[in-house]
Amino acid sequence: MAEEQESTLLLPPSTAPEAEVPAEVSPETATPEPPSSAAVSPGTEEPVGDTKKKIDILLKAVGDTPIMKTKKWAVERTRTIQGLIDFIKKFLKLVASEQLFIYVNQSFAPSPDQEVGTLYECFGSDGKLVLHYCKSQAWG
Amino acid sequence: MEEDEFFGEKTFQHYCAEFIKHSQKIGDGWEWRASKDCSDGYMCKTHFQVKNGTAMSHQGTSAHVQTFLPVEEAVDPPLDDFEVTETTTAAEVIKYEYHVLYSCSYQVPVLYFRASFLDGRPLALKDIWEGVHECYKMRLLQGPWDTITQQEHPILGQPFFVLHPCKTSEFLIPVLKNSRKINRNVNYITSWLSMVGPAVGLNLPLSYATAASQEEGNVSGQDNQRPLI
Repeated sequence: MAEEQESTLLLPPSTAPEAEVPAEVSPETATPEPPSSAAVSPGTEEPVGDTKKKIDILLKAVGDTPIMKTKKWAVERTRTIQGLIDFIKKFLKLVASEQLFIYVNQSFAPSPDQEVGTLYECFGSDGKLVLHYCKSQAWG
Repeated sequence: MEEDEFFGEKTFQHYCAEFIKHSQKIGDGWEWRASKDCSDGYMCKTHFQVKNGTAMSHQGTSAHVQTFLPVEEAVDPPLDDFEVTETTTAAEVIKYEYHVLYSCSYQVPVLYFRASFLDGRPLALKDIWEGVHECYKMRLLQGPWDTITQQEHPILGQPFFVLHPCKTSEFLIPVLKNSRKINRNVNYITSWLSMVGPAVGLNLPLSYATAASQEEGNVSGQDNQRPLI
């Protein structure tokens, strides 16, 4: 479970600053090859080897958060949750005082530096990653 | 009242216990401390961060933070479980403590935290602000005194920084309502901490996400999920 081992397994070396080492994944389930030969995406037929490959994300609104007209997006694996949050905020034209949260499993907010590729590998199914999002005045 | 159902003190202690169970499984370092009369208590974790960005390897730490072997005065860590690949001087290391308590007045969990150098000097508020994740900085800076305040720890009586709890139920209830449609046992401590923690440098490993929906002996959740530790 050493972090060095995980970063070798899961991150494309060119885009991985130290801050983006993903959370623990059991070594038995992660592919042993280095990222340049890439983990096979669960349930898809795309050729391996392209670490810039995009994954499909389905965005679902929670509560009275505005629903995005386009819900399905192809996102680069290395995009972080923070990047996705910024994107959705701009898309929904949220103001600075509004916070947006993104969830996996409808209940857990991954940390902002988490890469969507990792989330896809852990929580994706049927070729896509379902993420719920919710806006709020989170603080104060 | 709906909020009582979600965030009563008994469920607080129950979900903290579940949270800690998973933490122990992955070596994430959370533990429960009871108050002197044992009527209540809190969950806490200490971790160490190298300020200048030196990389360390450490088992079970949250991915976002660079850390090294935590040395608690009272605890001898099992040394063979950890690897320190680099060393650094004491001045560059910051000790963060996070405490999760229950607020009776707001009826929600509250995150208390403090940070100090190894020689005991506490971090200034300015350093705390600098540590707030980019994602949250803009919003927090809009009303800093509404968000991070300094208060006395209700049990320890020492000054801690606090993420103000008055909006917690507002942002947490929609999420819980939604997730409990599919899983009545969602651990709200996990949900809540995953949302507020990153704002102050506390990141939860992804395996909590799966554990939170696998409570009380359920077989591994959905079949599409990869087993996380």
